[in-house]
Amino acid sequence: MARRNLVRNPLRSGLACFGIVIGVVAIASLGILGFTLQAGFMENMGDTANQVEVTPATETDGPGIGSLTQQTFSDREVRDIRRTAPGAEVTPVKQGRVDLEYGDDPPVPRTAYAVENPGALFEAKQGRVPAVLSGGILVGSRVAESIEVNAGSAVTVDNSSYRVVGILKEEPWTAPVNPNFNIVVPETELRDTGYRRVIIEEDSAEAANATAQEIRETMNRREEVVEVQENSDLIERVQSQQRLLSLFLIAVGSISLFVAGVSILNVMLMSTVERREEIGVLRAVGVQRTSVLKILLAEATLLGFVGGAVGVVISILVGGVINHFMLDNALMVFRPGNLRYVGMALGFAVGISLLSGAYPAWKAANERPVEALRG
Amino acid sequence: MIAELEGVVKRYDSGDETLTVLEGVDFGVERGEFVTVMGPSGCGKTTMLNVLGLLDEPSEGVVRLDGDDVTGLNDRERTEARKDSVGFVFQYFYLIPSLTAEENVEAPTVFSGGSGGRAAELLEKVGLGDRKDHKPSELSGGQKQRVAIARALVNSPDVILADEPTGNLDKETGDETLGLIRDLCDEGVGVVAVTHDERIKNYSDRDVRLDDGVVV
Repeated sequence: MARRNLVRNPLRSGLACFGIVIGVVAIASLGILGFTLQAGFMENMGDTANQVEVTPATETDGPGIGSLTQQTFSDREVRDIRRTAPGAEVTPVKQGRVDLEYGDDPPVPRTAYAVENPGALFEAKQGRVPAVLSGGILVGSRVAESIEVNAGSAVTVDNSSYRVVGILKEEPWTAPVNPNFNIVVPETELRDTGYRRVIIEEDSAEAANATAQEIRETMNRREEVVEVQENSDLIERVQSQQRLLSLFLIAVGSISLFVAGVSILNVMLMSTVERREEIGVLRAVGVQRTSVLKILLAEATLLGFVGGAVGVVISILVGGVINHFMLDNALMVFRPGNLRYVGMALGFAVGISLLSGAYPAWKAANERPVEALRG
Repeated sequence: MIAELEGVVKRYDSGDETLTVLEGVDFGVERGEFVTVMGPSGCGKTTMLNVLGLLDEPSEGVVRLDGDDVTGLNDRERTEARKDSVGFVFQYFYLIPSLTAEENVEAPTVFSGGSGGRAAELLEKVGLGDRKDHKPSELSGGQKQRVAIARALVNSPDVILADEPTGNLDKETGDETLGLIRDLCDEGVGVVAVTHDERIKNYSDRDVRLDDGVVV
């Protein structure tokens, strides 16, 4: 009966529905946009949020760049760091300059890293990252591009011949040891260099944060020995910013749903005024007030639900497009975080409709049939 | 008496003025009786009908349906009593335009489980068996009024209250309608028709005249 009443004035009902559609699409799409931005950011950050980078404190003899001396960790200091981060994966990193030569090109100086367990820090996009690097080297993706080497190519590093075992995957800019423009060589190649930094990998950003604090407190108690850098703080800040942004986007979307609610209110008011006599007759022939109320509320809810359902379909399509462009995978729209926004928008639509329908329904149901029939 | 008014006064307050429409009306209708209430416009005929049909409350006096005092009932109870005992036929038919004839007849029962085929029977009875699926816009005035009569009958009322039942009909269809109403009386339903159509007298058992708020 509610459906039939709405079909009676298809244009008006359609427009009211359309308002709800827009509202739902606005809320859901903006919600999905916010969520996807967040997801994209997290993807960029990768697991660097869990990493802590420890470097020797910079000692300055006086002002000016020339006075900076390159500091390294002693073995004892590395042991101290390991002690402060039990359970975490601790990777001391050596760093030096080497000449890399490939094919007929002249040797080019490159920054080289050496670590005991390369697998802890690096991933290969071509070839592999062995547990221990001995007769081979790993090449950063940009280096590989510029000199055009592949896994398996033979290269020369400071007059020693090596085979390229793997080309490394591109790492985000936040990675403490960023191999994109550099190479990774066996530790023997950098025998005379000290540890320039120690990377600690924890299971979570919170643990990383705690470890960073712990190292600062224990190692810098008497004098500034180490500098500790971690991303968890930064990530947390960016995330809270993004949460705010999402909230703001949804608030903007909600306004349009409120407008849609007002249009439902208008439609329901008009249709109850138009059907005043009809409702009067129904009341006269023994239809209870509550029944009239129910049917009018059902009409408003139906408007909201149909509009909401259409809106959900469109939102998922729009969300798919957003995800396609931002995360390269349209199906990512079906993640629970996104669906939460869609569900929220639908619930909101039905709720607003019900709310908007309440006043006209109440008004119509409470009109005395005598008044209604008097015209 | 199937429906009865005793000393009914109806006053309307409009601003500072109080308008007294009914000034102590005593009236009753028996089962199977066809009573017409005649009188000039504005004499309170419709108000009297509304009070009798529990659409309006009297300012003073008592309304009885089948001997029960129904004066002090609340809205829910009055609605229930209307549904059980009273059928209405209006001058302007008041059919619901989006519903078919059969659905219109069924309308009073849709919130209490439907008419169980009674709507179709009633349409047959009023001679519209072949118009069940027509919308009101596809029916003539007389046909609409017959649908309205069928609707008034769907809850098997004890009394039918008709406000100018022939007011919008030409002579021929008016006669048909009155004939139909007469048949209902013969089946035991009480009928009160308010009108200024003198022809109705030919069908009724009794005429009552309402003048300046009193039955004369």
